[in-house]
Amino acid sequence: MKSLEFFRNISIGQYIDIASPMHALHPAAKFALLFCISILALTAPTFAGAGAALLVAVLCILLARLPLGMAARPLKSLLYVAVLTILLQFVFSWPGDQSLRVLSLGTSLHALSLTLYETGIVASIVIRAAAMMLTLGWFTSIITEQDAIRSIERFLRKALRDSTIAHQAALVSAMALRFVPIIAGELEDIVKAQASRGASFGSDTRNPIAKARAYLPLFVPVTIRALERAELLAEAMEARCYTGRGRTEQALSPIPKSQILLILGALLATAALWWVDLTLCKPWIRPY
Amino acid sequence: MATQQKASGTSWVRKMIVAGALSAVSIALFLTPFGYIPWFAGASLTVMHVPAIIGGVLEGPVVGGVIGAIFGITSLIKAATAPQGPIDVFFTNPLVSVIPRILVGIAGWLIATLLRGLNRQLGYLAAGAVGSLTNSVLVLGALVLLQAIPLQLAASVFVANSLVEAVAAAILTAGVVSAWKGIEHGRSRSRLADEA
Repeated sequence: MKSLEFFRNISIGQYIDIASPMHALHPAAKFALLFCISILALTAPTFAGAGAALLVAVLCILLARLPLGMAARPLKSLLYVAVLTILLQFVFSWPGDQSLRVLSLGTSLHALSLTLYETGIVASIVIRAAAMMLTLGWFTSIITEQDAIRSIERFLRKALRDSTIAHQAALVSAMALRFVPIIAGELEDIVKAQASRGASFGSDTRNPIAKARAYLPLFVPVTIRALERAELLAEAMEARCYTGRGRTEQALSPIPKSQILLILGALLATAALWWVDLTLCKPWIRPY
Repeated sequence: MATQQKASGTSWVRKMIVAGALSAVSIALFLTPFGYIPWFAGASLTVMHVPAIIGGVLEGPVVGGVIGAIFGITSLIKAATAPQGPIDVFFTNPLVSVIPRILVGIAGWLIATLLRGLNRQLGYLAAGAVGSLTNSVLVLGALVLLQAIPLQLAASVFVANSLVEAVAAAILTAGVVSAWKGIEHGRSRSRLADEA
């Protein structure tokens, strides 16, 4: 039954409570940094821009005093991807790709070769993914889920000037977080109950339709129970005239002026790096 | 108060709580091994996006989209912080992990609404299938767009995996929605199908 014990290690965030300049930042500043680095990592015209984002992410991790081994662990899977994508690029070729061949097998087969263009694609995939992994790892380590949700609510409330949508967003994400351990516990209960009745969840058949049908005894009760729980909670809240308006909330210290400057600086630096990448690097690095 | 709300559809509190609960189902499926139906040769059918389709069919496009968004963001964070395999690397891009999932529930709602007049059961089956296909087409499309995989590979994955996945999603969506509607109207009770 060891394989059914999955209720205990459920977590989305990975907050690490240490004192560091990064942890001390106002949640808004943390979000701003996350936004800037991700935008640069994902949309920079070339992998040089994404590389800059990667460097900034490493700097942020160092400033947050996070254990480097932990921060770098997700990067391991990048190794397989690098090998896999190089293989894929080697086997397939892009139409109209006339760039220099780095590696080729035979001269007549254009397909079985690795060109400079394809190397650029692989570099771009790996660098962008590495930057995103480090950034999200850094972000989820320095902010708690509650803080993150609260700051999103505050931001939406200010941006939209309509507290209902902001409150809806906060309510739904808070509900999801609260419900996850409950649902995971129910999932475990139902899996065990059905397994004790001999349910195989489709492991004894190859037919995909039969497999999906064998999943019904697990999937239907879990979902129905979740819906029932939601119904019960909604009824209780509506009976108490819950509207989301006029509620008290935890006071959050206002964002210091120096951190507003930091946010502005980060936005400007992102725009500048993006522009440099577009005008200076792009002519040199043709793909991406 | 109950009649008031009936007149204006369900209240936003109810909708948001249903969205939260169904998001939790898809996150729980995602974080445990039960979000995948193992198939042959290491390939598996994912069913984690089905709660988004169910949310869309039951409560409308906003709920479906919200569930998809929450599930997508969770999968984005997990792919970046605790990747399980090579494919997770591509899910660090929100274009792959978040945007397609938002549209899954909306597509499910659209199909269920269009087919409502024709045949409800058929509508739910079609909503599940189309919702799942939306997910596969958009995810594979985004991967091709990002030049992560060539079009040929995307097409073969689509044929080999996504069509079967759509069938599985159709069966699960129809199963849950009809069971829930049955409970709501008190006409029939939910039962476990094919336990043996």
